[in-house]
Amino acid sequence: MPQRAHSIFSDDWLVRAQAQVNTDAELQLIGTWFTTAFSLTCTDRRAERRAIVRFERRRLVDILPSPRLDVRCAFGFRASLEIWTKFFAANPEPLYHDFFAMLMRVPGFVLEGDTLVAMQNARALHRAMNVMRSVEP
Amino acid sequence: MPDLEPIVGRYLNVNIDQVNYRIYFEEAGEGIPLLCLHTAGADSRQFRHLLNDAEVTRRYRVIAFDMPYHGRSNPPDGWWLQKYLLTMKGYLALVRHVWLALGLERPVIMGGSMGGAIVLKLAAEYQRELHGIIGFESSAFAPGRYNDYLHHPAIHGSELVASYTFGLCAPNSPETSRRENWWYYSQSGPGVYAGDVHYYSNDWDGREDIKTIDTSVCKVSLLTGEYDYSCTPDMTRAVAAAIVGSRLVIMNGMGHFPMVENYPLFREFLLPELDFMATT
Repeated sequence: MPQRAHSIFSDDWLVRAQAQVNTDAELQLIGTWFTTAFSLTCTDRRAERRAIVRFERRRLVDILPSPRLDVRCAFGFRASLEIWTKFFAANPEPLYHDFFAMLMRVPGFVLEGDTLVAMQNARALHRAMNVMRSVEP
Repeated sequence: MPDLEPIVGRYLNVNIDQVNYRIYFEEAGEGIPLLCLHTAGADSRQFRHLLNDAEVTRRYRVIAFDMPYHGRSNPPDGWWLQKYLLTMKGYLALVRHVWLALGLERPVIMGGSMGGAIVLKLAAEYQRELHGIIGFESSAFAPGRYNDYLHHPAIHGSELVASYTFGLCAPNSPETSRRENWWYYSQSGPGVYAGDVHYYSNDWDGREDIKTIDTSVCKVSLLTGEYDYSCTPDMTRAVAAAIVGSRLVIMNGMGHFPMVENYPLFREFLLPELDFMATT
């Protein structure tokens, strides 16, 4: 039986998210300088699912589930399964409808790593996260 | 015939402590003065729908002005030698001077976010000279919005500020309207949003002041969107609990910028409060 945490950033979901992001007209327009890698981590009591997504000039070029320690990334988002489930809900409840909202009001939602890089890419990152949110886990 | 809107824009000069401010304002309508205060880092364009709403302007003289450093109101002379940091004291003085300079008699003052905060202070200080206040997204104490990235040399401030505030809109508000507000936010000068948030999130604490507001003298309506995470509904509930006789409306399906992100929905909540303000 698969771990519940693995259901959020599953291999299948990552592939679908990649396709969605790479065909998003807005991200393709604004993401000229969107070259960075960040992690997405989902935890529950018994397991952790972590994947790194690497963008190069607006395109999601690599998806790296369960990365080895030599796979680098600048920053990442980490939260519990419960929090991610609310974020990915079709009609998210208040405070879970936007990652900036969660950073301010949901203590278990963490931006880790080099937050400066994250905020340098705020516009494209925000769009990418919103596009990925539209992909059903 | 040109397709003209009824809004008229003008400039007003006010002097506060020997500093001259050239203030841009727009107005429409006749009747009870309704002075409108924009949100942090934005400008009076946020009120364009209200200024064009004939049901409002047939009984209210609606006036919206740009704070100095915002929109078409220039910074004061010598701005390049001082860091812009809005304070409660400075904000209060500015609104009071604009109010008096325009000769507004017993206005209703309405503001959102940082404007929704200062209306509480205005009511506490000048309640006998006011018809009432309408605060949307009003909190008496709102820590947690300030961070140094809001004005940082390694970050495109325009894009960060606009994206940082975009999610304050409700997800179901019309995209065109949410994007319109994004655009306004992208146009603030370097450090202006951060300077405003300094007031809103660091300097402002009205928790004692609001207890002095007498709603038999100055009416108080408080409206907050359910998706607002800067001023949450609970934060406004705390304000309402401290002001006996205030009216509280939690706006379902609304975020932090009701006058611009979803005006058709906002007016459903606002019109009854304007009715309430207009009754004697």
